[in-house]
Amino acid sequence: MIRKILAFSVALIFIFPIFFLITSSFKNNIDLFSLPPKLFLFDIDFSAYERVFGFSKLLKFDPSYGELYLTSRILDSLIVGIGSSSLTLIIGIYAGYYISRANFKYKNFLIMSILSARMMPLISIAIPLYFVYEKINLLDTYVGLILIHTFINLPLAVLLLKSFFDEVPKQIDENAFIDGASKIKILHKLIIPCAKGGIAVTFILSIIFSWTEFICALMIGQMKIKTIPIQASIMKTIPSWDMMAAFTTISIIPVFIMILAVRKHFVRGLTLGTVKE
Amino acid sequence: MAAQKSYSLPSFMNSDSSLPWLLPLITMLIVFAIIPFFYNIYLSFHEFVPAKRALLFVGWDNWIRLFTDGVFWGSLKVSLYYTFMCLLIQLVLGMGIALLIDSDDPGFGIIRSILTLTLVIPPAIAGMIFLIMEDANYGLIPWLLKSVGLIGPEDTILADPTLALWGVMIVDIWQWTPFMVLILVAGLRSLPSEPFESAVIDGARPFQVFRRLTLPMLHKVIAVAILIRGIDLWRMVDYVFVLTSGGPGTATYTLSLYSWQRFTFVQWGYGATISLFSLIVILIVGNAFIHFAKVKW
Repeated sequence: MIRKILAFSVALIFIFPIFFLITSSFKNNIDLFSLPPKLFLFDIDFSAYERVFGFSKLLKFDPSYGELYLTSRILDSLIVGIGSSSLTLIIGIYAGYYISRANFKYKNFLIMSILSARMMPLISIAIPLYFVYEKINLLDTYVGLILIHTFINLPLAVLLLKSFFDEVPKQIDENAFIDGASKIKILHKLIIPCAKGGIAVTFILSIIFSWTEFICALMIGQMKIKTIPIQASIMKTIPSWDMMAAFTTISIIPVFIMILAVRKHFVRGLTLGTVKE
Repeated sequence: MAAQKSYSLPSFMNSDSSLPWLLPLITMLIVFAIIPFFYNIYLSFHEFVPAKRALLFVGWDNWIRLFTDGVFWGSLKVSLYYTFMCLLIQLVLGMGIALLIDSDDPGFGIIRSILTLTLVIPPAIAGMIFLIMEDANYGLIPWLLKSVGLIGPEDTILADPTLALWGVMIVDIWQWTPFMVLILVAGLRSLPSEPFESAVIDGARPFQVFRRLTLPMLHKVIAVAILIRGIDLWRMVDYVFVLTSGGPGTATYTLSLYSWQRFTFVQWGYGATISLFSLIVILIVGNAFIHFAKVKW
């Protein structure tokens, strides 16, 4: 019993900042700045949400922040997230399946290269890429950001999918192969249906990691494209806590829903498929 | 036969060659890892000269500047301190919490779900949450610390050269300790129960069981957790960007942030040199760690 109370108080500590954020977004300016903080008994006030959605019209703010900018920021994040995750998945499925099934000479070297790609500080990719993108006109485009996020998520996708394919019995491949099916057909018709749960998990995790990525989105997106973390860092300069809180609350709800859907495989995703839950 | 015909693919995809399967992956690795790596090397020997509005060859200047630059050494120290301290605290705290919630009781399942939530918040947004909570005048954390007397009434967290880094680290510890917890719990739950039962019968004390049985059996899981957390700690930039922008002064510059900041000051070559340094360090250390800790994929 003591153990349970202790465990729940630990969970409470970790959930508290999220709780504090969400309640802050519903506070008026007096309750927001009161110390000791009003955690439960405050007047509920939706004005922050109204301002976040229709920001420039009401406050006559610099139009470079864009009208309805929260909606378009969420759209930016969704386009980049879904675009890059789809591309990641297509590349990852073929590579992951091949690495899972075949024994080839440079297999270990390839896996080490994938892991090394995961290690790269993102700034060391973003700076050279900035110049390359500048030359081929990919700066500030969805395609440019989707490509770099695809690369960032590839190590996760390939290794995680490999671990899911490893769980599909090799007997299935062998039997189908004896019956004369080609490798590509075995993958499409037999293996993908067997591993579709794992593929869905990989897809959602890729969206989440694209949603949270910061430094590449900052450098590749400029004026037109701002994903949610970038917008958050810009909002730092606008001294309005309730709007900051409302903005962040709305922007983390989609990821919360996504993660609770794949919670069982989350640890496996975080460890690139090595630790299973 | 007709059904099979409709599914025909280019013949090279049916071959036994590994190329078509791995080609997209290898292309991505070359375009986004190998090319940037060599471009970084190229940039580190060049610098933008404002007078001539061009990127000119400067020889070893950037590298000489790197090793004589006090701010660089400061940011290297910050990166090292940040990585090691956060890793240590998160590992110890994480192990403690993992042992606490390692149970079949359904209530503990809810706790594990709660702990997942912090991990998917974009770090920049987590920084924003703590920016509000650590505000010098109206923030919750300074108010708490002041009321118990840990800091003086005039002290601030994020504007104080010695406290600012801890103000950043607290966000990392809050957000990523659950990462350790979840991985270690997954490891603990996968352990066989027989050795532990026989140890209890033999009269081993809980601490002995932990040291002689749990830790060695968790070796692989702990190594993976350290590796992945270490990589992300080393390249952390989001929190300092949002919370302190490297300040006060240069007290919270990490290597990545300093590199980015030099880049925005149009010192492209020098910025690339710093990022290249940070890349080479993590590639050597990371791969050595994988080798010596015998982590397998």
